[in-house]
Amino acid sequence: MKLSFDLSRRLGSFALALTLTFAVIYGALPRLTQSVDILKRMSVLLEEENIDPSRYYYTDVAQVVESERYLRAALDSR
Amino acid sequence: MAQPETDIVVDRAQSKWSDLWTREDYLAIWLAFSIIAVCLIAYFGFGPKNEFAAKVDAANQIQQVEEAKAPFKTIAWHNAESDKTGLRASRSPFGAFATHWTSRPGSWQNNPMDAFVRTKAQAEAMNAKAQPAYDEAKLASAAALSAAQQAETAAAGVQFQNSVLNTEASVKISEWQAAKKKEASARSKASNKPFNLFPTLIGTCIFCILAFGAGIKLMGQNFTAFAKGFTIVFLVTVFAYLFGNHAISKQYGFGAEAWGILLGMLIANTIGTPRWVLPACQVEFFIKTGLVLLGAEVLFGKILAIGIPGIFVAWVVTPTVLICTFIFGQTVLKMPSKTLNIVISADMSVCGTSAAIATAAACRAKKEELTLSIGMSLVFTAIMMIGMPAFIKAVGMPEVLGGAWIGGTIDSTGAVAAAGAFLGQKAMYVAATIKMIQNVMIGVTAFCVALYWTMRVERTAADTEVKASEIWHRFPKFVLGFLAASILFSILDAGLSKEMSSAMVEHGAVRGGTRLLRDWFFAISFAAIGLSTNFRELAVYFKGGKPVILYVCGQSFNLVLTLAMAYLMFYIVFPEITASI
Repeated sequence: MKLSFDLSRRLGSFALALTLTFAVIYGALPRLTQSVDILKRMSVLLEEENIDPSRYYYTDVAQVVESERYLRAALDSR
Repeated sequence: MAQPETDIVVDRAQSKWSDLWTREDYLAIWLAFSIIAVCLIAYFGFGPKNEFAAKVDAANQIQQVEEAKAPFKTIAWHNAESDKTGLRASRSPFGAFATHWTSRPGSWQNNPMDAFVRTKAQAEAMNAKAQPAYDEAKLASAAALSAAQQAETAAAGVQFQNSVLNTEASVKISEWQAAKKKEASARSKASNKPFNLFPTLIGTCIFCILAFGAGIKLMGQNFTAFAKGFTIVFLVTVFAYLFGNHAISKQYGFGAEAWGILLGMLIANTIGTPRWVLPACQVEFFIKTGLVLLGAEVLFGKILAIGIPGIFVAWVVTPTVLICTFIFGQTVLKMPSKTLNIVISADMSVCGTSAAIATAAACRAKKEELTLSIGMSLVFTAIMMIGMPAFIKAVGMPEVLGGAWIGGTIDSTGAVAAAGAFLGQKAMYVAATIKMIQNVMIGVTAFCVALYWTMRVERTAADTEVKASEIWHRFPKFVLGFLAASILFSILDAGLSKEMSSAMVEHGAVRGGTRLLRDWFFAISFAAIGLSTNFRELAVYFKGGKPVILYVCGQSFNLVLTLAMAYLMFYIVFPEITASI
């Protein structure tokens, strides 16, 4: 009985923590993004250019290939 | 590592031959190099190397003829260039196989199931929705090509002797290139294919269990216990990818790694991670294997991408900031943990998450320290990604300078690309390239930190002289595997022409091979970190706010020094490079 109460309490804590997390990330952040002009413009740009800011290494980011190519071509043509 | 331990103990035993098949570092190297060997054999032994070489030669010949003919890059020159840049070994049968069987949950907006399954009907609906924009882009591209052809013909009519006509043709060709890029983007949005990731996710899980499980068994631990627990670790990782691939999460840089830590910690600190899962939380094993694979992406030839200015901004400023921040942390802030200090310093000064992972493993930092460092980096990256371009525009800073500043300071490459693109195309090109050059510093950073820690930090009071054998024993061997992979791929890269290297190495063995599994292994390791981290243990490291103060002070110094160096290099010493960009 005590064990199941403890488990219920822990499951409840997990559900609450997850709900709060989702509320912030999927609730508050989108509202903030839509209501602040600069964030909204960034959101549109990321969608249009297909840029993923969560990628951390250069081989994960497609724009690096294009950038390197452009700069090498620019320097080679000097 | 039978249990996840937060205490790190320096082993004083001697190195033995049996270490080669029983110690974690070596097993990580063998596993990673097995994957590297398979990728290299598949692409270089059975891949389209000869076919690509013939196409590159043909394209180069066309370009030579066109360069001799006209003082600008003609339409034929650009078509030949497209033929070369479109060559990707990752599109070969092995590449398609590897990509398919390592697929991660994709992007989604409203329905999380969209990340796992897309039916044929859904794909057709998405394509139909995107088709009008694609048709419009195609028409615009065709019109731009026609205008470019007319302008080029006009210039050719006077043997390219009229500079006005030549300039006009060059402008029209640039407009055609821009229209072509938009057409390609619209085409990809109208080319959605159906997929079902459930079978491939199960396949990836089984592969990881077998690959890491073999290492676990050789380390003398229980394979069955590992396999059982790993299913939960993998499940948490899949959910981490799911939540990390939502549009809003991606926008703020909150990817799979961050979600892995968060979900894992939520589970560990509420429900409690079941004891039978803990044997699968082999954080160090996953990270070390991932790092050796990451070595294949550290191509030293990249540091010359933007010439000497790029080297100064990325390779002179970065170690200066790293060392100064570390010294500041030790002498002024008196950080209680040296390992936390160096991980934060590397994370902030080099390139964010990947640098933090490499440095933490090299100095045997605690997983809580890695978690804290990455958490801070994510928050400040999101702020700087928005704030820096806004500031740069507000003060009227030139794009090239702004791009170099962004590239040398914002931590993650994706955020750098985003911030640079927000500023302008040239800013993005410079920013992303500077960041790429900084990324290549990871190998050197990890090696130097490992060496410093082995020779100086881990010495005890009893050590009057550090023997070579003791240095060898303490040195984290996986760093050598990391460097070996980097040197191997850098030699491959240098030994091929840039077109063949791009097609076979970067867009073959790396992006179509090692990188696919590296991504999974890091994501799995962060889920494992989360599942084995206690909030209270993490909170201890926040005491006094010193980590945050260290990050803020170090980043402030980084911002000032990077801007100064970028201005000096791009506008004082090498203005001709800036003019050509």
